[in-house]
Amino acid sequence: MTENKRPKWAEWADHVRSLDDPAKNFEKPEALDDLVVLDLSSRSMAGCFCSSLLAELGAETIRIEPPGGDLVRTYSPNGVMHRGTGLAYLQEGRNKYHVTLDLDKEEGREILKCLVGAADVLIETYPAGVMDAWGIGYEELAKINPRLIYTSISGYGQFGPESARKQYDYDNVSQARSGIQYGTGEILPEGKTYDEMPYAVPTKAGPWIAWAASGTFGAMGILSAVYYRGVTGEGQAIDIATPEAYERLHDYALHWYSDQGVLNERFGNLDTALWLYGFYPTKDGGVFLGGLRLEMWKAFVDIIGKYDEWGAEQWTTLAPFMKKDWQLKYQAMINPETEKYTSQELTMKSVEYAKTGRLAPITPVIAEIVSPDKAMRDEVWRDRGVFTPVQDPVYGSIVCAQSQWKATETPPRTKWVCRPVGYDNGFVYLKYMGYGPVKLQELSGKGII
Amino acid sequence: MPDVFKDYVKNKNSRPGPLKGVRVLEVCTLLFGPAGPSFMAALGAEVIKIELPPMGDVTRSLNPFGWFYKEQGPMFMHINTSKHYMALDLHIDWGQQIFKELAAKSDIIEFNLRPAVTNRWNIGYEDIKKVNPGIIYIEKNGFGQWGTYAEQDRPSNDGAAQALSGYAWMSSFPKRPPMKQSVWICDVFGAMMGEVAVLAALHHKKKTGKGQFIEMSQTENIMRAMGWVWPYQQMTGNGVEPSGNRDQCICPADTFLCKDELFVALAAPAPDEFKGLCKAMGKSELADDPRFKEHTNRLETENALAILKIIADWARTKTAGEIEELGKQSGFAATRLHNSRDMCEDPQRRARGFVKDLDDPLYGKYTDHELPIMMSKTPPKHRWSVRPVGFDNDFIMAKLLGRNQAQIEELYLHGVLGKWKDAQGRRPPSDWDGQSGAILRR
Repeated sequence: MTENKRPKWAEWADHVRSLDDPAKNFEKPEALDDLVVLDLSSRSMAGCFCSSLLAELGAETIRIEPPGGDLVRTYSPNGVMHRGTGLAYLQEGRNKYHVTLDLDKEEGREILKCLVGAADVLIETYPAGVMDAWGIGYEELAKINPRLIYTSISGYGQFGPESARKQYDYDNVSQARSGIQYGTGEILPEGKTYDEMPYAVPTKAGPWIAWAASGTFGAMGILSAVYYRGVTGEGQAIDIATPEAYERLHDYALHWYSDQGVLNERFGNLDTALWLYGFYPTKDGGVFLGGLRLEMWKAFVDIIGKYDEWGAEQWTTLAPFMKKDWQLKYQAMINPETEKYTSQELTMKSVEYAKTGRLAPITPVIAEIVSPDKAMRDEVWRDRGVFTPVQDPVYGSIVCAQSQWKATETPPRTKWVCRPVGYDNGFVYLKYMGYGPVKLQELSGKGII
Repeated sequence: MPDVFKDYVKNKNSRPGPLKGVRVLEVCTLLFGPAGPSFMAALGAEVIKIELPPMGDVTRSLNPFGWFYKEQGPMFMHINTSKHYMALDLHIDWGQQIFKELAAKSDIIEFNLRPAVTNRWNIGYEDIKKVNPGIIYIEKNGFGQWGTYAEQDRPSNDGAAQALSGYAWMSSFPKRPPMKQSVWICDVFGAMMGEVAVLAALHHKKKTGKGQFIEMSQTENIMRAMGWVWPYQQMTGNGVEPSGNRDQCICPADTFLCKDELFVALAAPAPDEFKGLCKAMGKSELADDPRFKEHTNRLETENALAILKIIADWARTKTAGEIEELGKQSGFAATRLHNSRDMCEDPQRRARGFVKDLDDPLYGKYTDHELPIMMSKTPPKHRWSVRPVGFDNDFIMAKLLGRNQAQIEELYLHGVLGKWKDAQGRRPPSDWDGQSGAILRR
């Protein structure tokens, strides 16, 4: 890395850091510490992600699992378990109290109704109709607590012709149903078949992004509903279908089809709608190149030494570059140029160009395509508090992505990563029901907790 | 269907949005910035988008393969709905003064500029706090306001965040190059998370009267959604590798090619789902196979690949529609792969009002997405389309700041307020009647 000369505005950076450095998170108040959240998520990380976001902001979040624990605890690469819990749940059990309760039993449902009386938010992810059939759907619970914000996150929503489907919500299925997977992935060359190139198919994103999308829209809806409740005192029901939540992240595809009949076909590592915008090979891997303004694209061409040869001086608009044939033509011209450098060399060329280039301070976006392994070792993210390990009393020191935003007043924070199944039965049932060890023993004997 | 959602779409307009009375100022371009305020607008907030005259947001120029809708960039249209449009030159002192007047009357301000630019424009958090101590002020960009990358003043895009977070790396097939997403995932997901931050801050303000400053990096934010990757690397010492369409944490969960050359995605990790799938395949005995019986055994890579091969061979003998139907009957999750035709024509999306036809005074009738949050008492509503640069200047100046026409003219004269350049995407559509959609003066 080149010598780190601090910018003219270093004072500003220092000032902001003094106010919002995550190292100081625990000195600050919590935005949602007046809310109680019940999370009944079943098989779905969308609900868990949603309640995590609220729990990171201080909501007292009670995770309710069936007596054997929820299936999500088994979600883990290669089946790896850490002290009995899968690695995925070691991220989304964060800050929650974990109790068990068998909602299949009448007595279990009566206990839930008692908790609902004290709750502000309930999150559930069963197929539509399951909660109603148990007699603990929105209408029933609203009678107990009209202020309740009851949030359902499911595969097919609470209404609409498909909503009767009794299928659980899984991320990969929702990604497929969103329409986004269809348009992502390598292009199958003409004359080739999927059997020959089984990787040139519609490709989903690796992370559980459909679940994260519906969970985050869930949190957005819940916090909006909390705001409205502050005005009117009314709670309400919220319905989110995961494929719709993820589909909303698509931009123009729906409009393009409805107006022009064009399908969102795959375009590999280029971008149907943007130039300069794509992944390109380097000597040691690859980089992302971005230049959505003409000057940025010209600056990139300058960096690779083709400014004169390609006639960049004469370009007056980016428009023709967005067309498909020009994209492919220029991609083929750029590839051999970027391959002359390492990813790091190209990245630093862009940083340097902003200071000394002919179009400075304009410079293209150049970013190395790193593995998650390399990302986790990057000192910059560590310095900004993203990978600060959580010291969990049960699970030990666990790396958790956190501090997804910084704030001067109520930043999100992670206190513990998870709890074993039923770990907080004693605390929660005593706090809300006055149930002591004798009663809990009795409920446990009946298989209710 | 629960009664509470009966006639939801039909009765949508009988209820306000949940954020009625909240005012948001936006100085944002491209996607990461403007997408968030559009969610707030759908939730009922009054959103004022401030652009630099006369060209405004660069997104107005972007388009897929040369296609514009009535001269407008379609992505601009998708991401900037139900806002008021103001064009104010923030480079000059007078413009900054007007901005502060607006800020004094707002709840939330959103920016997506490089670090310290707002400070240079004299409308940084500290400046605004003086006129509105309760302000919620968010800056979204690539690398935040401090730290090595921020101080190098690196520009960023969604694709850079996909690259730097490891997201693209783990979204391809094994031994293939990393795959960029066809959606601007770090932009829009970042925008969503930004509003979660803002709404939580709004709740805090209600309790305490205190505002706050928030900063978000799109790369850091997408890392939050990558979950198990981080403890896996910490505990095993191995880097996470891509696995194509196979979900590494859930088995079976994958995408399969079918007899009709269509694709189907299915998932069946729970015991009832897995049994249902095995039965549907006519191979009930697999549910008792020691390799596959328990989910944790099935997840061991060798076993996972074995069961997925069995499913893949079976899927090739069925159509995607048949497998989807079997999923319904047997209780495992399955869907045919949808595309933009399904987005547009699927009765489910239409019945829920998630996909709907707009009726806009400038852009006419076209199809767009609603916010995917159905709220029984306060339905979010995508109400109107985008506007030319500076289209609502007069309305905002008169309504919020009480300026009369002569004063407004003076601001135009000095270049403080501006209107659209006579250029694609900036001016009104060519069939505009010169009046429709204008609020104050027609």
